[in-house]
Amino acid sequence: MTWRNQRIDDRLIHGQVVVAWGAALRLNRLLVVDDAAAASAWERDLLVSSAPGIAVSVVPVGEGPAAWEAGRAAAGCGMLVVRDLRTARRLVEAGAQVPAFTVGGLHYAPGKTKLNDYVYLDDADREDARALLRLGVALEVQDVPASRALPLVQLDPALPS
Amino acid sequence: MSRIPALLVTHADLGAALLRAAEQIYGPVSDVEVLSNLDLSRADLERAIDERVARWPGGGLVLTDFPGGSCQQCGLLAARAHAAVVVVTGINLPGLLDYLHNRDQYGAEELAERLRRKAQDSVRVQRSQPA
Repeated sequence: MTWRNQRIDDRLIHGQVVVAWGAALRLNRLLVVDDAAAASAWERDLLVSSAPGIAVSVVPVGEGPAAWEAGRAAAGCGMLVVRDLRTARRLVEAGAQVPAFTVGGLHYAPGKTKLNDYVYLDDADREDARALLRLGVALEVQDVPASRALPLVQLDPALPS
Repeated sequence: MSRIPALLVTHADLGAALLRAAEQIYGPVSDVEVLSNLDLSRADLERAIDERVARWPGGGLVLTDFPGGSCQQCGLLAARAHAAVVVVTGINLPGLLDYLHNRDQYGAEELAERLRRKAQDSVRVQRSQPA
């Protein structure tokens, strides 16, 4: 399978992922790596039911690298989704050879500063972003296929350029 | 039968617009709240819904816009803690009007099924005859 996109989105699977990206990338597989969602059968079922016609897997970070590798050997097109930069960093540090992440939605929370309408970061996020960049992982920002992807460092002067 | 309250949870300002449209047809509306998912994370949207439905001792309806979206998912996540809260997804203007006309006559479950049928039956493909 071709991994077409790796998305960081605190809504996990939702309309933008299924409707916009699903159609644009002809996705037939979604891999959600998330400890909290994977720990709840009910939440796993909810995520699976949210993407009709797309095979959805929900695994904890510990199983993420194996799921990522298994996906590369499968047929079709897939997208990886994680909730935040910390999970993305943990996944890569656990051994998943993910070349890039697209930040698609990190919404406001107290202590976070705005980069654009759908990306807000705090110091901990920036530290995770720097760690990913040091590991050679590209970070872009793009919510939907019709918008222009920008390097995260271009939007956030607090990150290394 | 006591009135069944409702919370409209939608993308952008769809919920507010639906309610304005309903008021043009039905008249002034009370006991319906509107919540947009704009700028809210999954956790914050779930929390915002939970805060509102927690005020409903007798239950109520969470009306969301489309299946698989964050509004529906967070509605279902929030409703887990409130047994008499029912989530209806795919709400449209006929469905909302049916809710307003019948919210004092039915319980939450019956009302939800009723407005689901109404919303679905209102989607029609029609061709007019040549003049």
